[in-house]
Amino acid sequence: MKKQSKIAYAFLAPFLILFVAFYLSPIVYAAYLSLFTKKRIGLRAAQDVFSGVTNYIRGFQDVNFLTSLKNILIFGIFQIPTMLIAALILALLLDQSRGLLMRVCRTIYFIPYTIPIAIGGLVWGCLYARDLSPVNQLLSTLNLARIDFLSPSLILFSIANITFWTWTGYNMITLFAALKNIPDELSEAARVDGAKRWDIVWRIKLPLLMPTFQLLFLFSIIGTSQIFAEAWVLRPIEYVADNITPNVYIYLTAARDTNYSYAAALAILLAAVVFAISSFLLRKLQPH
Amino acid sequence: MKIHHFLCAAIAASIPSLVCAQSNSSQPDYTKFAVEPGAQLEVWSWVVGLDSVAKDFEKEFPNIKVKVDNIGGGPTEYQKLQTAIKAGSGAPDVAQIEYDFLPSFIVTDGLADLTPFGAEQAKSYFVGWTWGQVSPDGKIVYGIPQDIGPLALMYNKKTFDKYQIAVPKTWDEFAAQAEKLSKASQGKVKIVNFFADYAPWFIGLAWAADGKFFETSDDTWSQELNNPIAEKVLTYWNDLVKKGYATTYKGFTPELYNAFANGEIAASVEAAWGPGVMAASLKERTAGDWRVAPLPQWKAGEAKSGNWGGSAFVVTKQSKFPRAATLFNIWLNTHRSAVLNNWYNTGIFPASIQGLADPELHMPDKDPSKFCGGQNVVQVYADAAKGVNVDFAWSPWFAFVNDNYNKQMSEMVAGKFTPRQALDAWQADSLKNAKDQGFEVKSQ
Repeated sequence: MKKQSKIAYAFLAPFLILFVAFYLSPIVYAAYLSLFTKKRIGLRAAQDVFSGVTNYIRGFQDVNFLTSLKNILIFGIFQIPTMLIAALILALLLDQSRGLLMRVCRTIYFIPYTIPIAIGGLVWGCLYARDLSPVNQLLSTLNLARIDFLSPSLILFSIANITFWTWTGYNMITLFAALKNIPDELSEAARVDGAKRWDIVWRIKLPLLMPTFQLLFLFSIIGTSQIFAEAWVLRPIEYVADNITPNVYIYLTAARDTNYSYAAALAILLAAVVFAISSFLLRKLQPH
Repeated sequence: MKIHHFLCAAIAASIPSLVCAQSNSSQPDYTKFAVEPGAQLEVWSWVVGLDSVAKDFEKEFPNIKVKVDNIGGGPTEYQKLQTAIKAGSGAPDVAQIEYDFLPSFIVTDGLADLTPFGAEQAKSYFVGWTWGQVSPDGKIVYGIPQDIGPLALMYNKKTFDKYQIAVPKTWDEFAAQAEKLSKASQGKVKIVNFFADYAPWFIGLAWAADGKFFETSDDTWSQELNNPIAEKVLTYWNDLVKKGYATTYKGFTPELYNAFANGEIAASVEAAWGPGVMAASLKERTAGDWRVAPLPQWKAGEAKSGNWGGSAFVVTKQSKFPRAATLFNIWLNTHRSAVLNNWYNTGIFPASIQGLADPELHMPDKDPSKFCGGQNVVQVYADAAKGVNVDFAWSPWFAFVNDNYNKQMSEMVAGKFTPRQALDAWQADSLKNAKDQGFEVKSQ
């Protein structure tokens, strides 16, 4: 090995070691695990037997897993655009305003992101609980029907609402930072050329914001596919289906049903699906 | 033993104390247990006040250090424990597991066999059938029983008196009183809560009616969640819910305890540990208003009951100090002060024979008896325990069965399922899960 490359590896080592230990090896281990199934006899300890791609085939036929994917797809189609457009509008508004109000608003919008979801989720749980919810208490004093926020037909919206609350501020801050990075000279030049405020936003700022926006879009797809805590913290309050999101289902398959191999296979399938969807969308979005 | 007795007699003659009576056979001779030097035990349990009981243990055995962690009750703990067992590290030395969930840990091979560490010496100190729960095959001992949970009826005497409700002896009377209470209070007061999210509660009620849900023979399991007795019991409860006589609050939630405290619910089917939990949760609110009566019967004159929960303390295979851990488990559940403190702290109804007979357990000025107006709560539950059919088995996929009950009951309470449909769906989903997990399961 040349001296130069030795030095290069020495510099890379801290990253590579952590990357291999905490990123690559769990994936390899999950892939390895996913090739086994359990053989059981009565009450005796179960044996792991090699069974190839059995778990993957089962995953494709698993109604619960497919339902969880469908749930998250519907969720994403509604929630991601709503959240990103709201974040974009807020960021543009902040960009146009100055002074104390801007800073106060910026902080307020960002605060939900800093609250751990375990705590935020509990607060939302109380807001959603059939009898404790202030909304329902108000409705019942007005003699109106209560809203069952956690019923099977509304639960996805209720979860979407929590993620909206948590992530809009984060996306807004990222977009806002990107807006601040746009050199003032561009706006000034446009103004000299006679562009109005709206023209500057529409023709200068938005196009320059697109790369950041696309990145946030990608992160949102990945984040949506990983939704777990928002659904999980609501489970003790009201029945939330096992298959509400893929990660809830995978977690229950592993930790509750102790079927770690099958859970590993499902996790890899989920990753593959998300990879396929996001690379497809990215290709569509890239200007050719 | 002879010499031991003789010595005792000699000492007793000179010292007028209870030393002998105690060292005789009310609790095992803990000095006989050899433990690893420098043992440090980590204990996972949700028993309130266990840390202070563990301190008493440390005082008696200064060479053993005990650290108690409450990482969540029931399923929350089980999921973490199963994960730690699978990971091969991170499991505690000792964990609390309810009898109904024990098989799911036996099949994951995470629990140590306690027989090499002297568990058999403790067997005779426990109510017979609890030993069957911790040693399903009669050979390997997977844990030390802590408590049992025979069912009885807790009722708010103040509310009952106010509306002139008689304590029902049968389920027919119960339904009649439920109607009377509802009418007298213009529908404001419901007689009871239906726990739509705790399968063991419902199974306990069906158990009291001679229902059976799981069996195992020759390495094959059978599961009958939709058995006729379950249907009879569930139909009865669904009627109460539909008629507006029963609430459907989730178990152990602030909403449920609020409803108990503000008089919305007049009674509750509670296990033996229930009054303790109730006392600890409601504190001053409605304290002293409650009483415990035997579980209503399907046939007048009978005295049957079922069991809800009850836990064992297990030792994991990962423990480096299994001998010390076994000793801790035995001490915790047979030693007089530990048994008494567990009862006062959170109403742990002991599985130890001596514990049950201890007159101090009846102390009317201490909770949970105090919470029940000084009533001898222990006696009611001890009688209920006698009415529990001890031949009752669980299954290794019970964690799923428990969760799925929640699903089907939500549908039933929402009026989308009849009891029959809910039970059939419960059976079908659970059967599928068991088979997916690789169990051989029959159903008729």
